[in-house]
Amino acid sequence: MYLLNTALVLAQEESTSNVALVLPDTAELIAGILAFGIVFFVVWRWALPTINKTLEARNEAIAGKIAEAEKAKVEAENLLADYRSQLAEAKAHGNEIVEEARGAAEQMKDDIIAKAETDAERIRIKARDEAETEKARALSDARAQVGDISVDLAGRIVGESLDADAHKDLVERYLADLEKL
Amino acid sequence: MDDRIVGYASGIFELAKAEDELERVENELFAVAQALDGSADLRSALTDPQLPLERKQAIVDGLLQGRASSLTVGLVQLVLGQGRSSDLPGIARALIEKAAESRDRAVAEVRSAVALDDDTIERLAAALGRATGKNVEVKVIVDETVIGGIVARVGDTVIDGSIEKRVKSLRQAVQS
Repeated sequence: MYLLNTALVLAQEESTSNVALVLPDTAELIAGILAFGIVFFVVWRWALPTINKTLEARNEAIAGKIAEAEKAKVEAENLLADYRSQLAEAKAHGNEIVEEARGAAEQMKDDIIAKAETDAERIRIKARDEAETEKARALSDARAQVGDISVDLAGRIVGESLDADAHKDLVERYLADLEKL
Repeated sequence: MDDRIVGYASGIFELAKAEDELERVENELFAVAQALDGSADLRSALTDPQLPLERKQAIVDGLLQGRASSLTVGLVQLVLGQGRSSDLPGIARALIEKAAESRDRAVAEVRSAVALDDDTIERLAAALGRATGKNVEVKVIVDETVIGGIVARVGDTVIDGSIEKRVKSLRQAVQS
C-alpha cells in the first residue's frame, strides 16, 4: 500500500510538472493567438478567394477541355462512321464493277462462241452446198457429154446407113411434104 | 445485109452483066463461096493477116485457073486484094439474089447431103415456088452435115426436112 501511495504521489508530481512543461507562457500564448488570427485573416481575406478563383478557372478550363475532347471524339467518330460507310460504299461499288465486268466477259464469251458456232455452221452449209452444186454440175456435164456423144454417134450411124435409095426416099418425102403445103 | 457486101455484089453484077457473063460468074462465085464455106483451112488461109497477099492470090489462082472464067478470077482477086476475102460468101449470095431479082426471081438455097439430079431440082423449084408464092431459082449446096433430106431457104423462110434437124431436136431432148 505504501508502495502504491508512493507511486501515486510520484505520478501526481510528475503530471504537474509535465503540463507546465508543455504549456507556453501566457504572453507567448497571446502573441501566438494574435499572430494566428492575423495570418488566418490574411489567408481568409485575400489568399483564399484567389486560390478559389484559380481553382475555379482551372476547373472550368478542364471542363472546357473535356467538352472539347468530347466534341473531337464525336467528330472523330462521325468521321470514322463516314469513312466506314464510304469504304463500304466503295467496296460495294467495286464489287458491282467486278460483277459487271464478269457479266460482260461472260456475255462476250457467249457471243464469241455463238458467233464461232454460227460461222462454222455457215461454212459447213456453204461447203455442202458447193459440193452439191459441183456434184450436180459434174453430173449434168457428164449427162450432157454422154448425150452429145450418143447423138453424134446416132447421127453418124444414120448418115452412114443411108444409101442412095434412102437419100432418094428422103428427098421424095420432102417433096411430098412440100407439095402438101 | 452489110452495105459493103451489097455494094460489092452490085458492082460485080453490073460488070458481069456488061460482059454478058452474069450466069457464069454467078455460078462460079457460088462455087467459090461453097468452097470457102466448106473448107475451114481455105478460109483461114485467105483471111490470115500474116500471110502476104501474093500467097493468097497464088492460092486462088491455083484453085480457079482453068476452071473459072478470067472475069471470075479477076473479081475474086479484086475482093481478095481489098482484104475482103471473108466477105466472099456473102458477096456471092448477094450477087445471086440480085441476079435472081433482076430476072424477077427469088433464090432458093437448097442444102442436101448428096448431089441432086436435074429432075429433082426442077420439082424442088416448082414445089418451093408454090410454097413461097415466088418464082424461085434453086441453088444446090452439097453439105454432108445435113446427113439426109433437104434444107431449103428462100429469103427468110427456111423449110427444113433434114436428118440434121432431127438429130438437133434429139440432142435438145437429151440435154433438157
